[in-house]
Amino acid sequence: MKAVFIFALMTLRMLFRRRTLWGILLVILLALGAISSVPNFDVSNQGRFILDFGLFGIEIGALLLALGLAANLYPRDRETRTLMPLIAVPLSRWQYLLGRFFGAALVQAAALLVTCLGLMLILLFHGLSIPNDLLPATLLIIVEGWFLLSTVFFFSFFTSPPLNWPLTTMLFVLSQMSVAEFVNVLPSAPGLMRAVRMILPHADVFHIKDPIAHGFEIEPVYFLIAIFYGLCYSIFMLSLALAVFRGRDLK
Amino acid sequence: MMKLFIGITFSLIMLLFTGCRTDYDISEVAPQDFLDSESHADHDHAPGEACTHEEVLLDEHVEDPHAGHDHAPGEPCNNEESIGEHVEDSHAGHNHAAGTRNHGTQWFFNQPWAAPFIWGKLFRDGAIFLTLGIVIFIITGRRRRK
Amino acid sequence: MSEKPPIQVSNLSKHFARKRSIGSIQAVSNISFDVNQGEIVGFIGHNGAGKTTSIKCILGLLKPSEGKVSLWGGQPADAEVRKRIGYIPENPDYDDSFSPMEYLTMFASMRDLSGVESDWMNLLARVGLTKWETTGIRQFSKGMRQRLSLAIALQSTPDLLILDEPTGGLDPIARKEFREIILEENKRGASIFLSSHILSDVETICSKAIILSGGKLITEGSMKELLGELHLYRIVSISRKTGQEVEEILPEPDLQTRIDSLRKDNVSIIKIELALKSLEDVFMAATGGDHK
Repeated sequence: MKAVFIFALMTLRMLFRRRTLWGILLVILLALGAISSVPNFDVSNQGRFILDFGLFGIEIGALLLALGLAANLYPRDRETRTLMPLIAVPLSRWQYLLGRFFGAALVQAAALLVTCLGLMLILLFHGLSIPNDLLPATLLIIVEGWFLLSTVFFFSFFTSPPLNWPLTTMLFVLSQMSVAEFVNVLPSAPGLMRAVRMILPHADVFHIKDPIAHGFEIEPVYFLIAIFYGLCYSIFMLSLALAVFRGRDLK
Repeated sequence: MMKLFIGITFSLIMLLFTGCRTDYDISEVAPQDFLDSESHADHDHAPGEACTHEEVLLDEHVEDPHAGHDHAPGEPCNNEESIGEHVEDSHAGHNHAAGTRNHGTQWFFNQPWAAPFIWGKLFRDGAIFLTLGIVIFIITGRRRRK
Repeated sequence: MSEKPPIQVSNLSKHFARKRSIGSIQAVSNISFDVNQGEIVGFIGHNGAGKTTSIKCILGLLKPSEGKVSLWGGQPADAEVRKRIGYIPENPDYDDSFSPMEYLTMFASMRDLSGVESDWMNLLARVGLTKWETTGIRQFSKGMRQRLSLAIALQSTPDLLILDEPTGGLDPIARKEFREIILEENKRGASIFLSSHILSDVETICSKAIILSGGKLITEGSMKELLGELHLYRIVSISRKTGQEVEEILPEPDLQTRIDSLRKDNVSIIKIELALKSLEDVFMAATGGDHK
């Protein structure tokens, strides 16, 4: 595991040195700033509006970060041949995948925490209180971000980055649907749609922006279960990604 | 070994399938008491009947705090509070407190955080995916070494 | 019990599926050879002969379609086996946001090596990267990247060095330095597997050569065997009619026929001597001199 840890740090350093991270982070923070400056709301509603759309913005930020950070990692490594000396000798394929994943996951989590901090500052700036569940909600979005990151890695082993973006976004959208909604996409084949939905994740598990915006208390055990579910699904996606990677010839 | 792998994978997928089909979607599998607590959007009280439910509308969805909720003139509706910035007519007594359930809010409560009856199943699904992931990791590793 | 050879390849074949058409491309076809402890083996062939494909199969980067590869009797994927290998890929490249020193430090940690910063400084000096230790790789030329890849390959003092076209981008002086380092490593006890189409490099440093053409193993043997296998003769003759002097180099089987024909044509033979051969002559004779 030491090799994975060192490679994750190497990935982390590399990603911090790329402009992609800073560009996406700036876009998210600007979007949060824009949300807070929407006029014509009284104090109570403005707080809800900022929280609701702010958390939504952070969630979209998680998707953008996952794609921006990871969609090009493996294809670039192959294209520039930096992969060969790594895979041939010091790292095995699972160590490469985990190292890249952990590095990107740490960067993504740090960036999302910064956006959460940005949201808190915006609330304070408007004289609003910070809900107790805002930080746990951000943690849940971070776990959702890791799930998306693992999905991006999965697609990156057999598609190009321009295809990875729509595929991951499509999975992100589909995974928000309930079983009934998903079946309605193709009502003529309900059995098939249910079978497909079975494999797709239930990303609605990570959605708690509505209750937070409306002041509902969420039971702490829910956070634990949702985080467990998200981590397990991420592990599942990573193992699928590894299965594809292990089967690939590195020409 | 391969037969065992196929067996485990098949069983796990079947378990997932069963879970998904019969007990994941909240709107399909919610127990009656969960549905009862939010099924009042269209209910009517008979004249003289007191309304005893905890029913409060989420304020941004409230066009008319009396939607589907007909009281006889002058009849009080108990246990309903309003925080209603939007509620002009206060005779209904819809004092909306943050964190309480309202009319027409099924969409809001049909989410996992509000449905403790699926949390156990969520945990089970997570465990199944975790097991599948570990099985795939081990088997693909063994195949590669061959 | 003595250890098994560093590389054993038996009946290795590798074919790739064609894109958008039926069938497959046979990159390597049924090759077998060994690299024994302490040998420097040259792996030569024209472009597309299957050298890099074979090396990638040896390293486990490609899965053989048929046949078997073993390194010291183990699998290429074994962690213990990989620890003993140094590898220079063809046209190596590295993430250019890092410096050579950062790379060496991280690789050392990943491989659990015990060296310290001064060791890596010395290593970079050995491969000719003094004063470039902390410069970003993005400023490096192709040759400097080759040198860095040699430093990374040597970092773990490997028992087996697998070098895929290591001198491709180097100038003559750098190539000489490179050869010297390879010989030093061999003296230390490392086995060397050197793929190249720069035949003079192979001839200078290798004790054994394997010639590949069209994915097939054409011939293999020690350098002495290969250079001595095919005797070439130089015939110098003078025409009695015109007085014109002619020099020819012929393989041994053709020698007697040519002498007979010269006599028949009334040409005086001045000299017949054994000609010195190069690996290039052997390679051209073995492969037929064309890209198959």
